[in-house]
Amino acid sequence: MNNNKSKIRSILLVTLALIVGVSIYFRFMNPVYNNMDRVSADVEVSSKELVSSYILNEKSANSIYRGKIVEVDGIVKEVTFLNNRNTILLYGSSKYSSVICDMQSNQIEEVKKLKKGQKIRIKGVCKGFLKDAILLHCILTNTQIDE
Amino acid sequence: MNKLIVLIFFLISFSEHESTSDQFITRQGQVSFFSYTSVENIEAKNNQVLSIIDLSKNEIAVSMLMNAFVFKKSLMHEHFNESYIESDLYPKATFEGQIIDFDPLAEKQTKIIKGNLTIHGMAKEVEIKTNIENNNGSYLFTGDFEATVKDFDIKIPPILAPNIAKIISITFRFEYQPYEK
Repeated sequence: MNNNKSKIRSILLVTLALIVGVSIYFRFMNPVYNNMDRVSADVEVSSKELVSSYILNEKSANSIYRGKIVEVDGIVKEVTFLNNRNTILLYGSSKYSSVICDMQSNQIEEVKKLKKGQKIRIKGVCKGFLKDAILLHCILTNTQIDE
Repeated sequence: MNKLIVLIFFLISFSEHESTSDQFITRQGQVSFFSYTSVENIEAKNNQVLSIIDLSKNEIAVSMLMNAFVFKKSLMHEHFNESYIESDLYPKATFEGQIIDFDPLAEKQTKIIKGNLTIHGMAKEVEIKTNIENNNGSYLFTGDFEATVKDFDIKIPPILAPNIAKIISITFRFEYQPYEK
């Protein structure tokens, strides 16, 4: 009887250890941005609204957007390939600030096709604001934009 | 009277033009750091560093988000932000300095930039040797320097001490464009 109990306990412990191990593996070895196309956004916002929230109050904007998966729609201001990165800048609410979207490397072909003035939707992780809002690990999404 | 208005308008336009044409900006500057130890090598890059140079005063300002450094392993990113840099408390690193004996017209020059580097809320005076190139009115600043972890009150747990170098190598590459205000 006691033997059975200790067996069950051992099986439970091993199962628990496996669950913890697998969770840690997926949390750290397979971060959420590797599956950006499969995870849904925490927040959806326009590029103008994102920038204006940061200009208005950086602290409160950080509490909404920082570290979150943000899906942002906006108009292409510029596309750059500086330092071997594929970067899209979206127009913000003022002439001086935009949304800098650092694209994942698998997005390069789609990024190359973009034109200034094009309306697009991008999903990425918001990191905060300097003179522009910064989004990393971004992908272009095909979600239809309501005009 | 009309001539006076035209003159004032001209002077205002001219002074605005002059003040902005002295400033150059990069929003996509690159800063990398390297920690080499016998246990492991750690490298991270930030490609969204903001910097402005003001030629009228030979001044430079740099600002970067610490959580925008990208590591090869996300566990390192987690440790860096949560345990060492505490990026929730100190989200930005900044540098403000003076470019000593800067000649804005020289095609290539190596100059010392002297100023205050603030990381983890701690400011430290540093001198950074910088290569400066003038490419038809835009500027490229590149260089590298070393920073001591202890100077910035960054606490490494004893168990991880062998994994993190005491002196970190930092490289930078800033490609400036005229700042159009």
